[in-house]
Amino acid sequence: MQFKLPELGEGVHEGELVKWKVKVGDMVGYDQSLCEIMTDKATVEIPSAFKGKVGSIDAKEGETVHVGQVMLTFESAEGTKTAATGASAGASGGNGTTTQAPAPMSAAPAKTAPSTPSKAPSSPSASSYSAGSAGPATENLSIESRPLAAPSTRRLARESGVDLGRLSGTGPHGRVMREDVETFVRGGGAGAIAGGAPSFKAPIGRTSIPAGQMEERVPFKGLRKKIAEKMRLSKDHATHFTYVEEADATALVQLRAQAKEIGAKQGIKVTYLPIVMKAMVASLRKFPILNSSLDEEKQELVYKHYFNIGLSIQTEDGLTAPVVKDVANKSILQIAKEIEDLVTRARAKKLTQDDFHGSTITLTNAGSIGGLFATPIINYPEVAILGFNKIFRKPVAVMVNGKEEVQIRDWTYFSISLDHRVVDGAVGAEFMVDFIKYIQNPSLLVLEG
Amino acid sequence: MANTQQQADVVVLGSGPAGYVCAIRLAQLGKKVTVVERGELGGVCLNVGCIPSKALIHAGSVFERAVHGSEMGIEIKGASVNMPKLIEWKSSVVKKLTGGVAQLLKANGCTVVAGDAKFTSPKTMDVKTKDGVVTLSFNTCVVATGSRPTKLPGFEVDQKKILDSTGALALQEVPKTMLCIGGGYIGLELGTFYSKVGTEVTVVEGFSNLLGMVDPDLTRVVQRKLEKRGVKILLSTSVKGCKPAKKGLDVTLTPKDGKEFTQNFDTVLVTIGRTPNSDGLGFEKAGLKLDSKGFLIVDAYRRTNVPHIYAIGDIAGQPLLAHKGSKEGIVAAEVIAGKKTSYDVIAMPAVIFTDPEIATVGLTEAEARAKGIDVKVGIFPLAANGRALSMAEPEGLVKVIGDGKTGRLLGVHIVGVEASNVIAEATIAIEMGASVEDVALTVHAHPTVPESLMEAAEAALGHAIHIYQKKPTAPQATAARV
Repeated sequence: MQFKLPELGEGVHEGELVKWKVKVGDMVGYDQSLCEIMTDKATVEIPSAFKGKVGSIDAKEGETVHVGQVMLTFESAEGTKTAATGASAGASGGNGTTTQAPAPMSAAPAKTAPSTPSKAPSSPSASSYSAGSAGPATENLSIESRPLAAPSTRRLARESGVDLGRLSGTGPHGRVMREDVETFVRGGGAGAIAGGAPSFKAPIGRTSIPAGQMEERVPFKGLRKKIAEKMRLSKDHATHFTYVEEADATALVQLRAQAKEIGAKQGIKVTYLPIVMKAMVASLRKFPILNSSLDEEKQELVYKHYFNIGLSIQTEDGLTAPVVKDVANKSILQIAKEIEDLVTRARAKKLTQDDFHGSTITLTNAGSIGGLFATPIINYPEVAILGFNKIFRKPVAVMVNGKEEVQIRDWTYFSISLDHRVVDGAVGAEFMVDFIKYIQNPSLLVLEG
Repeated sequence: MANTQQQADVVVLGSGPAGYVCAIRLAQLGKKVTVVERGELGGVCLNVGCIPSKALIHAGSVFERAVHGSEMGIEIKGASVNMPKLIEWKSSVVKKLTGGVAQLLKANGCTVVAGDAKFTSPKTMDVKTKDGVVTLSFNTCVVATGSRPTKLPGFEVDQKKILDSTGALALQEVPKTMLCIGGGYIGLELGTFYSKVGTEVTVVEGFSNLLGMVDPDLTRVVQRKLEKRGVKILLSTSVKGCKPAKKGLDVTLTPKDGKEFTQNFDTVLVTIGRTPNSDGLGFEKAGLKLDSKGFLIVDAYRRTNVPHIYAIGDIAGQPLLAHKGSKEGIVAAEVIAGKKTSYDVIAMPAVIFTDPEIATVGLTEAEARAKGIDVKVGIFPLAANGRALSMAEPEGLVKVIGDGKTGRLLGVHIVGVEASNVIAEATIAIEMGASVEDVALTVHAHPTVPESLMEAAEAALGHAIHIYQKKPTAPQATAARV
């Protein structure tokens, strides 16, 4: 019984197999999680549609898998797989009175495929030659089932530790081309095959250096690779500029303190983010160009009449950006509840493909660690990303009854990165002036909303 | 005699086409190599196998052409074979090649120790040289000790009346009659040669067909031509024993379904197979494991059960082919040098120098069918190939085996003139993963024999040009047979 990769979500045809949660020989029940697949930005767990014993795992960690691809094979109760028909070496050249080895030539065609390696199951090959061990698995196969690939490509694969059988070739009839191997290696799949030692969970920046090693090579894959691709895509397309403005956050802090208290009674943890989001929507209504995207293919600007705000969340695997949908029509408490849910699920890697769908602008909270302000990278194809930085106490000159005095206020900087192809500096600046008006006086949100 | 000690990095035991190739590649990769050889450099292949036999077989064909070339209008009166001179020429060819091996080993900085080696431990061996015993200790060893003709009890080889393949390459006169015991490739190749130079040859084979697992479509062509030439073929017949007679030997033969009879032959050639050279070499001292037939067990890197000892060539098992051994030699050398190499061969060609030649690569039709493959077969007869006809060699065919589902070329089986050369194209096609269509679509020079490979591929697709193929009645013909 073959288990094929089920649908992963709207418009999603493939994903990276991050981790197997079962192994050959495991007994698996219905709905038991089989593996983790990372699509665009979500890592989803794939539940089993069958019950039975895992006979073979047919996809490798790090591999890109497609919807409908055979992921693993269940052994039926009988558990018999079609045995390879080993052509028995028929004797020849003998005269009937002896039982000697057959004449060499006559046995040759039967042995064309290199079946010899399989003769030595107890051979020590694995110990000091693990890097190439992916090769022989495929190399044992008979002519008709060997991957289509030229000898030079096979050598490259072997040297790169890539099992050709795991690649889907881009050449005619699925022929694996040299480029396919190179791409696969660049994509980081090779590491997974070489033994899977480097953990997906270890963020590249935090890997401790093993003693006695000057450097360590960790496959660049999974979410890290996805982030890299998205960032590169954004920088390749959007022409970034960042505008920074300061804001008196005293009123924001007060409002949040109130909201926090009210939320606590309902079991909702309220942060600044829902309020910032509402302020964003209020200003976006006046500057709809910031809530648009550029359809480069059709050369059209797409103005969105809905406000879905992506929220970047740092997880142990890396940055992810689920979406709070329809912010305009939700209350601050509702939004707070949704954000709490998204954050919890992001850290537990339980976000689904739908959680990432359809953001129109993104909010990044850069301030929780420190720093004055960040220059965020646009979540392409959006045209704007707002950076919410740390709130700190600061003495400022304030006019009180026509007289200047120094007060200690809650202060912050907001940075916004914009795609200059779509949004000019002046427009961005005007947006920020308007937005900060709501931040400094959030009661306007109630009055105007 | 002095007992000397030598320390070597890599020892290659045996200098046949597996061993010497391995040694040279090792040297190319910067290894310090010591080659141990108890006989002549070049092993069986160069000295008493492939090369000398092909020299004789070619000479036989030249002579036969001289005698029977009259259909082309060539008339040579009084053509004869000067056997001592032929053998001398054959030896000169061998000498050139073995001399070349010696030079190559020297140029690559390999040390050659001439002598009989015996493992004394997994890391040492004693080599009995003419100057005494050399104790060689090594870090890595490659065993390439090859194989030898299998002995047949009751037929003690004396290389005069009872020959093995080695003796059959050094006869000083053409025997009047010869019995070839064993209808395998060696027996048929040498039997054909002697038949061509005038010997009355009888081939006796215990099984019901010649050449074992070779496609019967191919064997049939060779058998027919042998019989036409006057070679007597006794199938399903065993030899019981022999007695020296006044002249030659009286051999007792037992047909499976017939009455035992005795026949006199000048010479008997015993070619019943080959036995691995795994005895008397101290393999047990090295801890090496053999399979039930005496071959060393190796993995994909040609490593034995002892991690620092490798085995290549005949000693590493079937198929016993020189080029298989050479390939293994390169693989083992590269693995030893730390390269990520393995024995990753899809297509292993095999050639039999009968008349006409047989050459095969990949799956046979029977093997493919046994695997449950939707087999597509295309056959093209050489009688329809202009070049074959112009050489007066119309016997033979090219048979292409394809996977009907994927179109992949799975096997090519050729019997006919130049088969040994045409198979190279088929081999690269299979190794590259070509489809039957790829072969059919590739332009082949005219007029050449390889055109028939293209046509056989076309036939498999149902539209060969130079033979008439009925249009398939079903929309999808799975097999196009001619």
